[in-house]
Amino acid sequence: MRKFWIAVAAALVIAAMIGLASCSSKRREGVVVYVSEDQVFSEPILRDFERDTGIRVKPVFDTEEAKSTGVMNRLLAEKNNPQADVYWANEPIRAEVLKQENVAAVYQSPSAEGIPANFKDPQKYWTGFSARARVLLVNNSVANKPKSISAYGDPAFNGKTVIANPLFGTTTTEIAALFIVWGDEKAKTFLTEMKRNNVKTATSNGESADFVAAGDSAFSLVDSDDAANRIKQGKAVEMIYPDQGDNEVGCFIVPNAVVLIKSGPHPEAGKKLIDYLLSAETERKLAASDAAQIPLHQGVETPAIVRKIEKIKTMQSDYAAVARKMREIEPLLKQWVGL
Amino acid sequence: MALIVFDSVSKAYSGKAVLHDFSLSIEHGQRMAILGPSGCGKTTVLRLLAGFIAPDTGSISIDDEIVANNGKILQQPEQRHIGMVFQDLALWPHLTVAENVEFGLKAQGIPKSERTERIKEILELVEMHSYLRARPAQLSGGQQQRVALARALVLQPKALLMDEPLSNLDDELNQHLRGELLRLHAQLGFTLLYVTHDRAEASEIGTRIVRMRHGSIERIVASGEEPRRQMEIKRSF
Amino acid sequence: MFARSLTVNGAFSLENYQHLLATGRSWQLLTNSLGLALTTAVICTIVGLPLGLLFAKTDLPLRRVFVLLFALPLVIPPYITAVSWAEMLAPHGLASGFFGEATARKLSGLLFGLPGCVLVLTTTFVPAVMLATMTFVRTINPRLEEAARLSARPLRVLSGITIPLIWPGVLLATTLVFLLALGEFGVPTFLRYSVFAVESFTQFTVSYNFGAATAAAVPLALLTFVILGIEWFVLRDKIQPLRPAGDDDAYLVPLRSYRVSLFVLVSILCALLVITPLMSLLLQAGSMQSYVRALHVVIDSLIRSLFIAAVGATALTVLGFFIGYLVHTRALPIWRAADAGTVLLFALPGTVIGMGLIAFWNHAATNLIYATPLIIVFGYLAQYTALTGRVTVGSLSLVPASMEEAAASAGANWMRRLGLIVLPLIRNALVVGWLIAYIFCLRDTGITMLVYPPGYDTLPVRIFTLMANGAPPLIAATCVLMIAATVLPLLGIAALMRTQRRRSWR
Repeated sequence: MRKFWIAVAAALVIAAMIGLASCSSKRREGVVVYVSEDQVFSEPILRDFERDTGIRVKPVFDTEEAKSTGVMNRLLAEKNNPQADVYWANEPIRAEVLKQENVAAVYQSPSAEGIPANFKDPQKYWTGFSARARVLLVNNSVANKPKSISAYGDPAFNGKTVIANPLFGTTTTEIAALFIVWGDEKAKTFLTEMKRNNVKTATSNGESADFVAAGDSAFSLVDSDDAANRIKQGKAVEMIYPDQGDNEVGCFIVPNAVVLIKSGPHPEAGKKLIDYLLSAETERKLAASDAAQIPLHQGVETPAIVRKIEKIKTMQSDYAAVARKMREIEPLLKQWVGL
Repeated sequence: MALIVFDSVSKAYSGKAVLHDFSLSIEHGQRMAILGPSGCGKTTVLRLLAGFIAPDTGSISIDDEIVANNGKILQQPEQRHIGMVFQDLALWPHLTVAENVEFGLKAQGIPKSERTERIKEILELVEMHSYLRARPAQLSGGQQQRVALARALVLQPKALLMDEPLSNLDDELNQHLRGELLRLHAQLGFTLLYVTHDRAEASEIGTRIVRMRHGSIERIVASGEEPRRQMEIKRSF
Repeated sequence: MFARSLTVNGAFSLENYQHLLATGRSWQLLTNSLGLALTTAVICTIVGLPLGLLFAKTDLPLRRVFVLLFALPLVIPPYITAVSWAEMLAPHGLASGFFGEATARKLSGLLFGLPGCVLVLTTTFVPAVMLATMTFVRTINPRLEEAARLSARPLRVLSGITIPLIWPGVLLATTLVFLLALGEFGVPTFLRYSVFAVESFTQFTVSYNFGAATAAAVPLALLTFVILGIEWFVLRDKIQPLRPAGDDDAYLVPLRSYRVSLFVLVSILCALLVITPLMSLLLQAGSMQSYVRALHVVIDSLIRSLFIAAVGATALTVLGFFIGYLVHTRALPIWRAADAGTVLLFALPGTVIGMGLIAFWNHAATNLIYATPLIIVFGYLAQYTALTGRVTVGSLSLVPASMEEAAASAGANWMRRLGLIVLPLIRNALVVGWLIAYIFCLRDTGITMLVYPPGYDTLPVRIFTLMANGAPPLIAATCVLMIAATVLPLLGIAALMRTQRRRSWR
């Protein structure tokens, strides 16, 4: 019987010890980063940072979009007592939200030199890097390949299209951007026509890409890394950068974004991490990886499947305005989805 | 022709012999008491007869038919037409008195009209007919006893086995129920195998007493002989 | 958390609830949640009860093996089962190999939705009903069945006596399954079936709306109360006090001519529910290399998981014991609140609890807890105490009050009585409670995902993050590792317990 009590006491003591040990390690050198970019791509970069600088990285990773309880939410929930130093967002809207919620701190990184101004926050709360383009993934069997996203309303593709749930992720962002660039009327028409054309809704860009690859759908709007991934897998698909014509809106670009968290526990280490992430070298690695992301620094070495940023006509978007628009159109989108 | 015959039956549990070369025959209508201290194997005899366990060696026959031998049960309990009253009575707590008694009749496929008739009859016999809808938990010890008896007897069994049924009751009730049992036996004439550790009880209930010790029969006596020996043993104290 | 749900932009408002109630969607979600939970509970009972009876009361060959196999999904996080079914029905999975791609595609379509959710949750929870049946069957006074055997055939004995005697206990298990299915979040999300639990998270993710997310969880809480109320009312006096199993001959119903056909039937069911998804995972993982790679990738989170689950299980056993003791003895007036409280927390989605934990513990003063793995343990304590508490209550009901009373009259105070009399008597039950708590802690995702300290992710969380974009063979191999991590320690402990028991016999 005594043994039982001793075991219990020992367990509790050990628990307390871990607690204390972990606690004290927090005071030691290290940097805490919350990451929304896929762990598979981001982790190697963080490990390289550890190796190159000797600063220990303690990450919290996000899960797949729709099922995410979200590091974003954790950041917001922890506002009064931030645990993170840096947030690595996989798109700038979340960074904007953090800025608007007063969770972000101002930081102008020297590595941000050379990144075009429209991919950076003018007030220097966040900086974009390594982007994805919103592209059309088209099945090879399609004869007349679509060149614009308005093909979603083309009767020729009735019932043959798919799009990721517009309530989540990059799809939402792009639709909000369209509302700004086209104006409310035209954007609403676009949505209505898409629905009238019997578009299928998938839960994620990845799933849409799979539908197209399998031949269930003719084309879908997806992120360029999803498209690149399917092409690398040898599927019978093609990636088309939409709306590249003179009078057309251009291709929507979704950069990663990095944010310094206000009152984080290790601000200096956080800044070093941000400098590292924004460097051309990191962009080169992410371009070369399966992430196939587009460097925003000019002249960075990229594999063939990744088109250089200077070669793409990009949609002119003010991400701050996009972030505000997203909240505004949320009820409309919910209705569109059937919520 | 004997109703029940045990022929050199042995039974062991986990290597320990519980019954050893046990042979016994019981006649129709006989009242036989099995008497012995705890652990002598008397309950095992009942369980073998009921068909819950099989003899390791030897055979058991009922009505000239071998029902079990050498590790095999040849006739299942429900086929043997044996009634039993357990030490803890084992009345089904989720069924009423009437349902407890009816269960076996239903299982044997007796039609409803006949069932109702027989239930009424047997419960009147044990004076429990006004408790049809009561549940066992609502009855006193003696009342439960009577219901258990009724349940066993309603099926008109070839033999009734009783495993120390009165040991948990106070003296007065005990006496009373013994009398009841004898009355029922006189009326219905069933064969009775009654297990007990109480000598007085054995003498009163059984016309013959089988004394067991350590898994074997010590001796078999006719009921009248016992009291004298009891008195002798008492005196030597 | 509840307070949060009542405010919008800092001012008191029922807007969150109004919104919830007004939209047709809410009723749809509620119907979905109830439908899924009810269907799962019913099917689990229909399948689990006969299986339990077959394995506990008949001479079906390889019973023990079947029990282990069927029980396996219980220790695997349900979403892994969902993943393995998805793999199997995927374009190049097992099913398309056997049945052709068209059929596989059709089946895959069924998988993603209510049928799939029911399949996965049933696979996971059938063993709960099965094991409950087996436990309660063993505690029936054997005389009751023997008395029936004197006049009725084995099937009649089963239907007339055995099942009526165990049904309150089985109903308890069914209720548990219902509650677990109701609060399940991982599987419906993965299989894209909208239920209330998922709504909480959607609210969270889409609009960072704590108030709305909690409001979405409130109906679940209310539903739990209703179910518990019904359970308490219906089962109040019906559960027969558990009788400790004696050493009587265990009577096994001989199946005779049905033996072969039943064996085949059970084997097919086992193959379908348990072996197929497992095989699919193993095949998907492929070579040893995947496992080596997986191990390399996740070894740190694996070790952390095992450790924190063990600590959590221990803490749960201790807290559960005290709460169970309180409920059993009704020593303090708050016993009812304690009981209801733990069960309520158990039924809440893990992420709601996680949110509450953050709100409560994330302050500079409490960093000692929040910034360390202790917060995960606190989360476990919040969510799972009901389990160990109930196990304690159940085991205490086996201990006659006279035991403690005897100790009291001998002069022992409360602590001595507890330590020297009560605890030793229920020691085995406490071990069982520990094992159950260990399983639940190990597979927890909802809470852990929200509160794990940076750099301290557990294996289930790691699997979830890998699922975002890891290579399928890697994910499959990691899932297999997770299963091994859960099962092997359990087998070890079970073997230890058996040798200990054998030793005490001599």
